[in-house]
Amino acid sequence: MESKLLASAQADVEPVSYLKLDAGLSFNLFQNNGLGAVALGVGAVAYDRIKLTLRLAVQHQQWTDWQAGENRVLATLEAGPVYGLDAGLGLVQRVPVFGDKYWSPLVWSGGAEEWNLLYRLRWKFIERENWWLRAGFSSYDRYTAHNPQQFPFEVDGAYRLKGNVELAARAGTAIVGLSGLLMSFHEVELNAGVGYAF
Amino acid sequence: MHSRRIALLGSAVLLALCACEWNLWGTVVRPTVEDRVRESLSGALPAPDSVAVNPDSFCFAVFGDPQIGHDFQTSLARFKEEAAERGMDFFCVLGDLTNDATPEECDSIKAQLDRVGIPYYATIGNHDLYQADGWERFKQDYGPSCYAVAVADRIKLVFLDTADGTIGLTQFDWFESELQDTLLTRIVLTHFPVFDGERPVMWRLASGAERVKVQSLLERYGAYAWCAGHIHGWRHMQVGSVNHFTCGSMAPGTLDYGNPGYLLFRFAHGSLSWQFVELD
Repeated sequence: MESKLLASAQADVEPVSYLKLDAGLSFNLFQNNGLGAVALGVGAVAYDRIKLTLRLAVQHQQWTDWQAGENRVLATLEAGPVYGLDAGLGLVQRVPVFGDKYWSPLVWSGGAEEWNLLYRLRWKFIERENWWLRAGFSSYDRYTAHNPQQFPFEVDGAYRLKGNVELAARAGTAIVGLSGLLMSFHEVELNAGVGYAF
Repeated sequence: MHSRRIALLGSAVLLALCACEWNLWGTVVRPTVEDRVRESLSGALPAPDSVAVNPDSFCFAVFGDPQIGHDFQTSLARFKEEAAERGMDFFCVLGDLTNDATPEECDSIKAQLDRVGIPYYATIGNHDLYQADGWERFKQDYGPSCYAVAVADRIKLVFLDTADGTIGLTQFDWFESELQDTLLTRIVLTHFPVFDGERPVMWRLASGAERVKVQSLLERYGAYAWCAGHIHGWRHMQVGSVNHFTCGSMAPGTLDYGNPGYLLFRFAHGSLSWQFVELD
């Protein structure tokens, strides 16, 4: 059992029409204490009807106990939600960083760079006034990008407690491809928390 | 028309599944890496003995994936000649000993490995778990799935169970304790690679966090190398101070890249060297 990214603060703004900026900070508790991830993204809406957006983002994730980090640059084409569906497809270049500079988001070499595909397809299949449920798969989010051997899927939802306060929960796991048709399930991730939107 | 296509596709998938010799249900209900590691570290399965070698000069080979199939073909007869010519003291096989882990394949690979005529160590691969009794059969033939062996008080071979593409918390704790033995040159031998080039292949350790933790531990304790199979080919990467080898394969048929071969380690004059040897 591992705890990670237990507290986060994020901002999503649209300074001008068709331009979206997002940023986030996430912190670990109990294990690899302290800063867990930093993310910054910019999106340009190319076709408003289906909210087709070209998004570029950088992520820095780190594990302080292991003196290890990973810097990533993501380029994705995202659409939706339309009729509850949202989708995304893109690429990520990932650069693991070890040793003294593990905390630095500015290191973009080190001998272990890789790139892989990103994908997302989720369906908000129930949406009521105070709550919603969504299911689907997504190989990336604001702070992380999965390896190509993982096929993550998840169910998440939220319930509006009061005003701007929302109770959110998520359960997810991944199918891990081993070879041929043999696969196994990855660890189960359970998230629950309270969010406040300003 | 549309439903007919779906029916045809479904039939093709069903036929493909029926044609293979895997026990698909068995692969779902099999013991997990955590189960295998706990059993391996419980003391119920004694670790293989250390090989007696000349402490000043010895050599050994490492390769992956003989993956013997229903035709029982491997390159091990050719490897036996190599072992004799080069005076190898022992060799290590990095999992996927069989293709489908059927009793016939298990019997045949055990006989072929024994026939090489020198001591050897084995790790378990995902293909060795393609039958419900895959783990039972592996431990009966080769012993624990994770263990460590010191050779001539010079090097320590740390064998890990990554047959599920993951390491797990129990094995990580044990792995770190084994790496702390800094008096010996430590080489990790297992089935899955951590790093293997820039391309987005699926065949590395699955968890990003596990991968960075592995590399962090290898660096922190000054390990010499991570030797893996799974990908049928040869590759060497240097990440920080650690060598990452995809060690070559004895698998029949076309490899993922390169030709069949093995990684040869030689200890002499107080230092360790390596070379990849291609089989003709």
